Amino acid sequence: MDFVFQGLALLMAPKVLLIICLSSIYGLFVGAMPGLTATMAAALLIPFTFFMDPVPALVSIVTMSAMAIFAGDIPAALVRIPGTPSSAAYTQDSFELTKQGKAELVLGADVIFSAIGGLMGAVVLMSSAPLLAEVAMKFSSFEYFWLAALGLSATVMVSRGSQVKGALAMILGLFLSTIGVDITLGYPRFTFGSVELLNGVDFIPAMVGVFGVSEVLRNVLQGEMSYPISRVRAGKIFSGMGGLIRRYKVNVLRSGLLGTFIGVLPGAGADIAAWLAYAVSKRSSKEPEKYGAGSIEAIIDSGTANNSCLAGDWVPALVFGIPGDTITAIVIGVLFMKGLRPGPMIFERQPEIIYAVYLAFIFANLIMIPFGYLAIRTSAQMLRVPKNILMPAILIFCIVGSFAINNSVFDIGTMLVMGVVGYFMEANGYPVAPIVLGLVLGPILEQNFMTSMIKSDWDLTLFFTRPISAILGGLTLIVWFFPVLAAFLEKAKKRNLPPVQ
Amino acid sequence: MGTKDIIGGGIFIALGLFIFILTFQFPSLEGGQPGPSLFPRILAVLFIFFAGIVLLRGWRTRVETLRSAPEEDFEVPRNYFSPVFVLILIAVYMALSNWLGFFLTSTLILFLMMIKLGVPYLRSVVISILLTLFVNFMFYKILRVPLPMGFLGW
Repeated sequence: MDFVFQGLALLMAPKVLLIICLSSIYGLFVGAMPGLTATMAAALLIPFTFFMDPVPALVSIVTMSAMAIFAGDIPAALVRIPGTPSSAAYTQDSFELTKQGKAELVLGADVIFSAIGGLMGAVVLMSSAPLLAEVAMKFSSFEYFWLAALGLSATVMVSRGSQVKGALAMILGLFLSTIGVDITLGYPRFTFGSVELLNGVDFIPAMVGVFGVSEVLRNVLQGEMSYPISRVRAGKIFSGMGGLIRRYKVNVLRSGLLGTFIGVLPGAGADIAAWLAYAVSKRSSKEPEKYGAGSIEAIIDSGTANNSCLAGDWVPALVFGIPGDTITAIVIGVLFMKGLRPGPMIFERQPEIIYAVYLAFIFANLIMIPFGYLAIRTSAQMLRVPKNILMPAILIFCIVGSFAINNSVFDIGTMLVMGVVGYFMEANGYPVAPIVLGLVLGPILEQNFMTSMIKSDWDLTLFFTRPISAILGGLTLIVWFFPVLAAFLEKAKKRNLPPVQ
Repeated sequence: MGTKDIIGGGIFIALGLFIFILTFQFPSLEGGQPGPSLFPRILAVLFIFFAGIVLLRGWRTRVETLRSAPEEDFEVPRNYFSPVFVLILIAVYMALSNWLGFFLTSTLILFLMMIKLGVPYLRSVVISILLTLFVNFMFYKILRVPLPMGFLGW
């Protein structure tokens, strides 16, 4: 109980409260702007968190991401463009209801069920993370190797579009992580004589490049966009919410748990949670014909799931140091910068930090209701911020943010190169999220593999003879061979079917 | 997509080969086992493997589309120079910031980018200066990041 109060004291410090408010506004704004993602918001936030203590740094990311995922619903309802990819699943339904004159109902449901989903995720995080941390205490380098491999494989499995391209993006991330001094002999790899590259490709400028600069490039290419914005009488948004909660309590419970579970899976983030909850909702609904034509049930289900997913994403990140999505990949980078190694030891040595994160999730989702209300009220003005002023502003924050970490112009160069790489990859159908996960998990993968090999005198069988290691290894192999197996089964099925007359 | 995948796959295969060749310069562990070279070498092989699949698939799509209909470009004409201009501005910042100082360089690139994106002159000047002051406040005053001063000491 002591730690709860310690965590609370850390959270309630005036400076931290101010950071929570600013991060909320920032998250709401970025989330509500179409074309800017929550991951970009996190990437631009890291240079700031670099200069904060661990608790405010983590709390700001928690608050920002919760607000951004909710705020993505606002333009979905008002202009039929999802503010972040996580709102894409139910954009059509939101906009159809707005056209029917029910914008208040949609936005009210967005904010209320986002908050409920977030709180459910927080409860699951609080109850499952300490238990898993006890299991993780038994892990050695063998298990951590498999965990990293499993996380990476799952990322590729769920990557949007082509899995082969997802794999290439991940390998690129892994390769970038090998640049610099190697861990076994201290040999400088792929540095080409550059002193700056000895420490490796710096995580922050790389992130800012992949998610910030590439976003700017994409936006200026598309040119100026303006939207016809419908006005909302925000005063009425909460009426009828009690009835909705009572009517759809089973949906909320199901989608909240589903979303959190998707979050716990390494590599699968809020967008996948929303799509999956939408599909499950449609299948079990009494009115499936309404889906796509304006179903409030669909919005409740997916809106609950994407916010509950956020807390779920933190479970593997805090317990094993394996990110649940791109934002938690950035969180792991931040923890390493702070000299904290995510994993079970953090639960023993700095429990107050863990409790502060728990409480931050609860607090962020509670203040989401008033903050969300204000965001909806000001949404028309927010959506009117012209892109031709916003893009230069983001660019200068990218540049100065990358520079700030090491006061080095070289890092701006890293940002530039990674921005171009990210832009071209995305334009050609390569997902960019696996690059980050590769970059974060690369050192964990290699270090644990080399440690295991040297420890066991190059005996590969140990990866499969230790019980937990064998289970994790088996799971990883299943993920690897699943596409091959699925294709094989598909072919076999086709062969067994009678020919069409 | 066919041609793009052939190019993309080709680039990744070349990168894989390049990494593979470079790893032979790396030293081995004392017992003769591969050390620094092991992980990059595995990655290089995976690069070539997956890029090979992308390339082959691209080739197949291209052959199919060539057979059915000539490849047409349906893309809307876009402002391709704008992204290049953004990259040039970043390079300008890298080249000039130490000499001109943060204040002038930042105002300059913000101004140029806004003009390029069609913001009126006067508004561009005012917003560039205000944004620069804001960034300066956030990073220099609050986070205490030493921003480049330049010869004028700004």
